[in-house]
Amino acid sequence: MFHILLALADKERHGYHIMREVDERTNGNVKLGPGTLYGSIKRMMADGLIEELEERPDPELDDERRRYYRLTDFGFRVASAEAQRLEQMVRSARAKKLLPRTKAG
Amino acid sequence: MNKNLSTEAKYFVWIYSILLLAYPREFRREYGPEMVRLVLDCQRDTYTISARRRLWLRTFFDLVRTAPREHLNNLRQENKLMRKLHPNLVAIGGCVLLILAAMLLLNYGRSHQVPSILLFGHVLDAVVFTGVVGNVIVFLLVKLTRLRPLRVAFWTFLIVTLVPSLALTLIAGADPKINAPRVVVGYVVSFMFWYGLHWLWSNKLKASETV
Repeated sequence: MFHILLALADKERHGYHIMREVDERTNGNVKLGPGTLYGSIKRMMADGLIEELEERPDPELDDERRRYYRLTDFGFRVASAEAQRLEQMVRSARAKKLLPRTKAG
Repeated sequence: MNKNLSTEAKYFVWIYSILLLAYPREFRREYGPEMVRLVLDCQRDTYTISARRRLWLRTFFDLVRTAPREHLNNLRQENKLMRKLHPNLVAIGGCVLLILAAMLLLNYGRSHQVPSILLFGHVLDAVVFTGVVGNVIVFLLVKLTRLRPLRVAFWTFLIVTLVPSLALTLIAGADPKINAPRVVVGYVVSFMFWYGLHWLWSNKLKASETV
């Protein structure tokens, strides 16, 4: 679910765009199937994390039957909170020398 | 739409469209066309035979894994609805039964002139009247607004009790058949009866929510 939130954090996307973004960002380690993707989208819409766009962002370039999704304000806050939680965990892991130190740290 | 696809890819998409029947109907209606489109897009971006086979396998396993999950989610939703509906049905059924019992008892007492029942005639009259009017108002207000049910019940039964008892007391001056003190006692008892029931019901619901 967090992968989908991340994919939608910078712009609205349709299903295939979300799938490709997740695939590219994780170097092919996370591949969302159609059932997983749309099952998650359904639950995230029900939870108010994402919403469907009424109009396509660029009707000239795309198939009119595609459905675009974007983060809601609540979805953005949830994604941000989860990112901060993960960052905190990475910091803890680094402090315990489980990860190599960055140049800045 | 399919003109750039190979024959086997077209077959795969066709088979996938049929396999979508494994999902619940609502889910299929909502997302089925999007899922087929997604598979088509994936096919277009897959160039080698081995990559295509991996895609088919992945898509098939995804379907096997997620279709039962969607059915399970649907069942959970239905259960939630039933759990919400159940207390409402019990409450409405209980009220209807109590009102019917009061009406039957009153009718029986009047037709057979049973003194012990007629002694409580005013109470039974009030129980029927406030029961029907008050409960309908309480039910509608609770369902249509966010007001607290117990508070709604208190004020509604108080008004439904005060208005007719005051009106009947005023009329009693002109109509000697109406016994004003008995009418008032009947409505007070009726108020205590219905509000008491709502109070008990509210406590029972609170207790079951805590559990």
